Amino acid sequence: MKADLRVRIGNLELANPVGLASGTFGYGSEYEELVDLDAVGALYTKAVTLAPRFGNQVPRIVETPSGMLNSIGLANPGIEAFLRDKLPGLRARRCAVFVNVAGSTEEEYLEVVERIETAVGEPSSAGERVGVGVDGYEINLSCPNVSHGGLAFGTDSALIERLTRALRDRTKRPIVVKLTPNVTDIAEIAKAAEAGGADAVSCINTLVGMVVDVAKKRPALAAGTGGLSGPAIRPVGVACCYKASRAVRIPVIGLGGIMRADDALQYLLAGARAVQVGTGTFVDPRCALKALEGIRTWMEAQGLEKIEDIAALLEI
Amino acid sequence: MKQFEADILENQVIAESWRKLVLSWDESAGAPLPGQFLSLRVSPTSDPLLRRPFAFSGYAPSRGGSGSKVSAIYEIRGAATRLMAELASGSRIDAIAPLGKGFPKPAPGETPVLAGGGVGLGPLLFLAERLTAAAPAATPPLLLLGIRSAAQLPSISLPAGTVVCTDDGSSGFFGTPVDWIARNAPAGRVRLYGCGPGPMLSGLAALAAERGWAASLSAEQWMACGVGACMGCALPRSDGRGYLRACTDGPVFEASTIDWKSR
Repeated sequence: MKADLRVRIGNLELANPVGLASGTFGYGSEYEELVDLDAVGALYTKAVTLAPRFGNQVPRIVETPSGMLNSIGLANPGIEAFLRDKLPGLRARRCAVFVNVAGSTEEEYLEVVERIETAVGEPSSAGERVGVGVDGYEINLSCPNVSHGGLAFGTDSALIERLTRALRDRTKRPIVVKLTPNVTDIAEIAKAAEAGGADAVSCINTLVGMVVDVAKKRPALAAGTGGLSGPAIRPVGVACCYKASRAVRIPVIGLGGIMRADDALQYLLAGARAVQVGTGTFVDPRCALKALEGIRTWMEAQGLEKIEDIAALLEI
Repeated sequence: MKQFEADILENQVIAESWRKLVLSWDESAGAPLPGQFLSLRVSPTSDPLLRRPFAFSGYAPSRGGSGSKVSAIYEIRGAATRLMAELASGSRIDAIAPLGKGFPKPAPGETPVLAGGGVGLGPLLFLAERLTAAAPAATPPLLLLGIRSAAQLPSISLPAGTVVCTDDGSSGFFGTPVDWIARNAPAGRVRLYGCGPGPMLSGLAALAAERGWAASLSAEQWMACGVGACMGCALPRSDGRGYLRACTDGPVFEASTIDWKSR
């Protein structure tokens, strides 16, 4: 039996459930020579903010046991340069493109989305994607590495609901709200995003972490703390997806430490409808494509027709 | 740029904690240039997780029956390089290469002076070989190697005339390559080429600025992706206008564009 890998996020159909996580794949061109990007289901771009951001001081990354800690600080060229320099390349993509949007204030998030909507126009009702360049938005309410916005927004459910609703009024494209695990109850935050009109939630963003360089008696990262990613956080991500998917009706997109198909299947069994590969791409640029092939093989071996069937198999 | 499985042809001890790795090279990736690097997945497990970047120390295109090869010199510094040192010839390793921008050629009238600190020697050996091949009739470029002591002197053939500098005076010149160049610089317009620890690079950058020389320095920084996507390997620009990426904007930079002193 041939498995049907298509999944829906809002009114958008993705060719398959495997996406490339924001901040790990740039705007698509960086890995062009190594990976057939159009084979994945979705690309989640590096975050875009209203004004350009240089990012945090260096060092920005350090390796940790089965993981890495980063404090990039949302370095990006800003909306103006994004529309001018990055959007043309995204228009050629055949996979779905979610622009990851970040900001320091609620107004900044709204303005970034408005600027993009103005540039790309209304989505086609026929579902024709190629040539537009933007298929949806991932709202980054959970970056641990900026002093304003980011994580501070991601832990406030009233604010999440209000901001999601305001964004909902400004676009017909799917809105994915990216959640932080740095909260007491992720289910409550997921519900707030759903109440605001989000089409999906993605979880998890990185966990706040710190490494101290004993010889230098100072933090290994210039910013002090950073966001932990990689296989080390996978069990946290799977648990968050499990909780979130039982709290909301909208799809949950799972990420955190996916290195191979089995890891992605853990998320799908725990309740995620789709997944993203992030740090795994740094280790092996073809990680997402290998995971995709493994999911297909596993589904066919299990006699499963649809991605939705996977979550039903979890025995508790 | 290509990802391929390389055969490990040699992984030999060349000094106490130094190794020389020789890998088979996939010609379809293009010919690597001095200053460019490759990233290796040292372990198939998740610890150590990230790939490691290594500058090429040489490239030999296929000749007769033997396929093309590249080499890299590395120092055992941590868990990843300890694992690397255990890799036996005959095994294979996941490589992505060539990455980054290499050293520019000297401009007409410029005298190249090459300085390698520790295993930073690698890319300068490659550059010296290329400069010599490009102008066989000319005097070979001056190459300096800075090491802590004679115990680190690598058992590889260094170009004739290589100036060895030791921190403790146990071999060759007592001092650093920066000290030697400051005292013995050739007359005329010099272009410095350097790769090594941070203090050496900032010393070379300061010397070049003081003498009005050009300098092409290869920077080292922690990297996650190696292809320009993650923004992790940033280096501060000297003009205060943000950062440049060691992996794709470099690793070789014109010395005046980077703030070498910042941590």
